[in-house]
Amino acid sequence: MVGANDNEEFVQEFLVESSENLDQLDRDLIALEQAPGDEARLASIFRTVHTIKGNSGFFGFSKLGAITHSGEHLLGRLRDGKLALDDRVTGSLYSLVDAVRAILRTIETTGKEGDHDFRDLAQRLTAMAAGEPTEPPPREHALEIAAEPPPPAAPVEAEIAAPPEPAAPAERAAGAGGERSGGEASIRVDVGLVGSILDLVGELVLARNELRSVATDDPAVLAAAHRINAVTNALQETAVKTRLQPIEQVFNKFPRTVRDLAVSCGREVQLSIDGGDTELDRTLIESIRDPLTHLVRNAVDHGIEPPDVRAARGKPRAGRLALRAFNESGQVTIEVEDDGGGIAVAAVRDKAVAKGLVSAEAAVALPDERILQFIFEPGFSTAAAVTSVSGRGVGMDVVKTNIEAIGGTVDVHSRPGLGTTVRVRVPLTLAIMPVLVVRSGSERLAIPQAAVRELVPLKGDRGGPRIEGLDGAPVVRLRGRLLPVVFLDEFLGLRAATACRDEGTVVLVRVDDHEFGIVIDGVRTTAGGAGGTAIGEAASLSTVVVKPIGGLLAQIGLYAGATVLGDGGVVLILDLRGILRAAALPVVRESEAASVEASLASGDRYLVCRTGRGRRIALPLEAIERLENVRASELHALGGRRVVRRGDAFTPVVDADRLLGTVAAAESDTINVVVLGGPAGPVGVAVGQILDVIAAESPLQPSLVAAGVRGALALGGVATEVLDISGDLPC
Amino acid sequence: MLKSDDTRDVCEFRVGGHSFAIDSEGVAEVLHSAALTPVPLAPEAIVGLLHLRGRIVPVIDMRRRLELSAAPGAAAPAHLVVRRAEDWYSLLVDEVLDVHAIPRAGIEPHASSVGDAAADAVTGVFACPDRLIHILDPERVVQAIHRQRTPPLVRHGVTHGR
Repeated sequence: MVGANDNEEFVQEFLVESSENLDQLDRDLIALEQAPGDEARLASIFRTVHTIKGNSGFFGFSKLGAITHSGEHLLGRLRDGKLALDDRVTGSLYSLVDAVRAILRTIETTGKEGDHDFRDLAQRLTAMAAGEPTEPPPREHALEIAAEPPPPAAPVEAEIAAPPEPAAPAERAAGAGGERSGGEASIRVDVGLVGSILDLVGELVLARNELRSVATDDPAVLAAAHRINAVTNALQETAVKTRLQPIEQVFNKFPRTVRDLAVSCGREVQLSIDGGDTELDRTLIESIRDPLTHLVRNAVDHGIEPPDVRAARGKPRAGRLALRAFNESGQVTIEVEDDGGGIAVAAVRDKAVAKGLVSAEAAVALPDERILQFIFEPGFSTAAAVTSVSGRGVGMDVVKTNIEAIGGTVDVHSRPGLGTTVRVRVPLTLAIMPVLVVRSGSERLAIPQAAVRELVPLKGDRGGPRIEGLDGAPVVRLRGRLLPVVFLDEFLGLRAATACRDEGTVVLVRVDDHEFGIVIDGVRTTAGGAGGTAIGEAASLSTVVVKPIGGLLAQIGLYAGATVLGDGGVVLILDLRGILRAAALPVVRESEAASVEASLASGDRYLVCRTGRGRRIALPLEAIERLENVRASELHALGGRRVVRRGDAFTPVVDADRLLGTVAAAESDTINVVVLGGPAGPVGVAVGQILDVIAAESPLQPSLVAAGVRGALALGGVATEVLDISGDLPC
Repeated sequence: MLKSDDTRDVCEFRVGGHSFAIDSEGVAEVLHSAALTPVPLAPEAIVGLLHLRGRIVPVIDMRRRLELSAAPGAAAPAHLVVRRAEDWYSLLVDEVLDVHAIPRAGIEPHASSVGDAAADAVTGVFACPDRLIHILDPERVVQAIHRQRTPPLVRHGVTHGR
């Protein structure tokens, strides 16, 4: 026997190997169900079970040994033609795979077999092998997904990937499990080792760059340097590839998942898988596993109709579910497509309105594509109303969050009655990332290129866009839109705030649904040449190896990692989500924007004021009852609120600065109060100065919503924030 | 060097005129100079990042971390690079001295005498004839960083939440 420590290592290896074997078993069983006479397949299943049995004996896992022994016996009878394969037998064999999987999982976490009791299953397998009649196997194994709705009354019948016609993808899916992938051609390598290779290659790149900068005329040296250069590039590329793995690893689980799900939901599903050899970074493969499983489940459960319904609609009884992966412009696209009923757009629209995500008027105006995006709203779809009308998306928000967390995107297309396609795009790897290296103050920083939409040079006096100060909330006006901006140097404390700045470049970025600008000094060449500010150098996009910065710095929440540039300099990579949060920029989703847009048309008249702290704000004139000038002594504290008394009525008064989330300025002797009519009686808003009544010159820009602000628009040629008075004012 | 269970190998260094030490086992490397990249908005004690053979290593200024002032004649500032699981850190100290084997029995487990900031990271004190060596736990040195002051964040616009 082996020593204790060695043993652990062997067990680990056994677990990994067995888990792969089980996946193979699942595929083989599904293939066998379709072609019960396939002897080669049966032999393969037998061998796999035999191997697991043998290993479990070696490690002394007696339960595993017992159950696989029973299974092996049954398989032996099948192989020898003593027994015919039927639904009961395949059902029991699936149960066997699940039992083995359950035991292995327990071994993995606890090191022991645990207290699983599979004696019933063992008995059933043995009885079947003896040709005795048995109770139909319980179906609980198919309900890995707990709490699925019970199958409808229609007889349960599952048909997976049975190719009714020789459709290529379907063939492939069935054949995918056929041959064992060439284990001889690959080796297991520790991930850490691959990481160190990447690090070393990075070092080599730096050394190469040093070599390049050494001035020499010697042609022999130049030639050698040139070769080293070429080899280094190739090496880096190859090293990155070692981290890639075929997406098959995720896809391979799906035939079984779909089969079980189809059985439990009473659907017939024909699954086709395409592009399983598309490669993706190992860590990303893990990250997309759950979201994809979710999408597949949704497609079977909510997308594909029950066979009778399909027949009534003139569709084949078996629904088609296609999984496709392919490379597209440096990213990997994965499609989950079904030919089910599609998403009921009207139901989604109603639901969105009911949940207050969009106003009824705006919802009507929104195109279907936009409406569909609402299914990604948190908590949107758990509502039965949508699900029962063939909506989908239990937890689509989670899918979206998970995919976006790895820099990917999800979108959904639906054709009513014809089906739904969900398209997931993820980067090939997170280890390598194209970034834009920018200069801010004395520092260089990197912005992930995936988020960059546009670079806009600021040229105040030369007709280019300018930064407009919405007191404390700088914005840039771009093609009629007002976008919030962050001065990167000020934000990072690299330079003191200055009143007006018209130099530099705005890097327009988009994160989730938010667009904002980052004002930088210039885009810098990564070679570290003279720091140019010309936009022509925006070509300093550079593909860098992302290094972790460690827990200590990750806690700051502003950096996604760091990288070493060609000149050896270390550059921090900005975490744009973190910046969006920390800068307290206006946060408004486009979906909400639509409703605000629709409810506030341009041309309305506004009262423009200055708050006690000098911020320019506007209030819609129609909401105003009157203006008052109140002496400070007329303000009374009443129940934690401040009120002004007029006859018998008390009007609560709140300071505009407080509504904006800041502290009210010291009050002077007299205070201007704008009294608004509200459903619960009049409310006063104290402002510093009343400026004018002006008609709006632009539509309200809801993307500028900050605390207490409903949006911004141009009033008297100046961008002005509109105070949000729609809710209860915190008087 | 003599190695036994009765002694503890520590690497001694000086910060602000005091002697400190950490277990030498955790020390990956000592650097005498390194180009530092500042980390904007990092806690005050983090003075930058250094690049060590493909690794990005945050540098903790031990004077700031322990809230000690510079002692006159600090000989040669050095980076004591320590390993902490997957993360590496560099402790920027005034001077790296030597590796000693000190008897475990001689380590007094009472609190430090060099100030509050050091107190939470010092696990024991060893009295040499001419000086006190404060034994630091690198884990605690790192953990407390975020509780310390952070330069104020320059904010734009207003803060959220009503």
